[in-house]
Amino acid sequence: MGQPKKKIIIDTDPGIDDAMAIFVALRSPELEVIGLTTIFGNVYTTLATRNALHLLEVAGRTDIPVAEGSHLTITKGTKLRIADFVHGTDGLGNQNFAPPKGKAIEQSAATFLVQQASLYPGEVTVVALGPLTNIALALELDPDFAKKVGQIVLLGGAFAVNGNVNPAAEANIFGDPDAADLVFTSGADILAVGINITHQVVLTDTDREKLSKSKGKLAQYLCKILEVYFSYHHVAYNTAGVYLHDPTTLLAAVNPSLLTYAEGVVRVQTSGIMRGLTIFYNKKKRFGEVTEWSDKPNVKVAVTVDAPAVVELVMERLMNS
Amino acid sequence: MNSPRVAHHIGDDSMAIFMAFQSPEIEVIGLTTIFGNVATKDATHNALLLCEIAERPDVPVAEGSYEPLKRGEPRVADFVHGSDGLGNISLPPPKGSKADKTAAEFLVEKASQYPGEVSILALGPLTNLALAIKSDSTFASNVKKIVILGGAFFALGNVNPAAEANIYGDPEAADVVFTSGANIVVVGINITTQVKLTDEDLAELRESKGRHAQLLSDMCKFYRDWHVKSDGLHGIFLHDPVSFVALVRPDLFSYKKGVVRVETQGICVGHTLMDQGLKKWNSNNPWSEYSPVSVAWTVDVDQVVAHIKKLLMKP
Repeated sequence: MGQPKKKIIIDTDPGIDDAMAIFVALRSPELEVIGLTTIFGNVYTTLATRNALHLLEVAGRTDIPVAEGSHLTITKGTKLRIADFVHGTDGLGNQNFAPPKGKAIEQSAATFLVQQASLYPGEVTVVALGPLTNIALALELDPDFAKKVGQIVLLGGAFAVNGNVNPAAEANIFGDPDAADLVFTSGADILAVGINITHQVVLTDTDREKLSKSKGKLAQYLCKILEVYFSYHHVAYNTAGVYLHDPTTLLAAVNPSLLTYAEGVVRVQTSGIMRGLTIFYNKKKRFGEVTEWSDKPNVKVAVTVDAPAVVELVMERLMNS
Repeated sequence: MNSPRVAHHIGDDSMAIFMAFQSPEIEVIGLTTIFGNVATKDATHNALLLCEIAERPDVPVAEGSYEPLKRGEPRVADFVHGSDGLGNISLPPPKGSKADKTAAEFLVEKASQYPGEVSILALGPLTNLALAIKSDSTFASNVKKIVILGGAFFALGNVNPAAEANIYGDPEAADVVFTSGANIVVVGINITTQVKLTDEDLAELRESKGRHAQLLSDMCKFYRDWHVKSDGLHGIFLHDPVSFVALVRPDLFSYKKGVVRVETQGICVGHTLMDQGLKKWNSNNPWSEYSPVSVAWTVDVDQVVAHIKKLLMKP
């Protein structure tokens, strides 16, 4: 007799590593994926929805609902930064997949998040792999959402390291800094995984070979779309491997003991040249004056990761797919 | 080495100033003052006093700006250094008076008088330097080197989690200086908070034959008591003396080169952020196209402490 399955909703902008994370989730016996919600980031929201539906069809899980998320930032910003140069113009490695047969549900992502959290109070884990607009909208829609949601495990921020959009900011936080600051200070049970962690988790060329030689159907699919992602990493970071941002975050929800955490307050810079900067304050040093970090609720921020174990688990679940 | 140096600013910097006067390889050609630990006027008063105590009344003291470039009345850290900036000990007033020129004018004058020879040790907010840069387009290339005590690189600040006090004191000026193209070495509190004088070290100093040991011990008491409250540290951080050592013994540090910018808006105003150059950016950003500066990355703590103690205990 195992533990009851953890209900999760993945908020996602697929995205090549999103695809990996979604597939790993669907092959994790610890999890029950109760929905996908979509957001802009790697692609625009409309395409994110299309890709989410497509990925569920590839995995044979069209029973899982997809709720489309916001097309704008929380401040109604329309100037979005889309990382098509990382993931291909279609977000999935330029493979020209046929359009999905299914459709998104009527509800918006925020409404769906609020509804599920109210239906299963304290039981729903939201794994947020893109900008945090939908989560912030859910917090605005229902003042009790922060209490009702079980945990929010989010990929975002660059803690005491350079960002990946520019030296200050990580892409997901940069995508909607105002939403991110709302989420971090909401009082929800939050676990943040920044690129200081995910840059340690690298899938190498050799790993990709292994995946392609395996019988796993999803592994085979991923190997095709990974090409674009590998060549971007080669140019931008001069590495012969790719960062597993989204799968690492997903596995933090599956098995939190793969990482260690520090507790403290995270605030997000929402203006200026460092828009999107995340500053974590562990409350150890005392300051002479009240600061913008004083009296804000604690969150958990990942500080170390067992990278080999994460890569192994990702590989294992994909090869047995 | 006999390149002339300009020291700059006053406060827990008393120690750094006495160290400069005790260093034979250095010629202190002036002090310029700025707000920070105390208001600028008080900093000038203290600088004159310290020169007299050190029997160097010949060293000119040029008074700096009373306020940052854009922010009005400065914040003064008197809860750190005592309301007089010298640890609330009673000293007679100085006999001398300040130079006729402002700090910025003095800096520009000396840099063009000795091009490529003047090093500046900047121990407070960077307003005077920014004014010098703005008033003379050759200033940045005329100065030999600017060693800045300021910033917190990939570490918590000391005013708030985002900002270090000197940069926070005038973020606009700091951004002007960091992007000026001058030869800059910056020593952040991520480095200086690794270097401490413990209560035992302070006792040793008090017992020593150091020329100003007694006075410094008295001045340090207030500063030391604040550290106990703020950081649980029984002793003192050596922010300013460490920066001085970076000027005379650059070999005791390692550095990384990168463009540094300062945030001037929002909750992270005063944050210093360096592009480590680990990634090839796919579009221009606010760090693109500026000259890199040297950011102190590691420090040989034992040797730096030894150098500081040697100078402070020198008769």
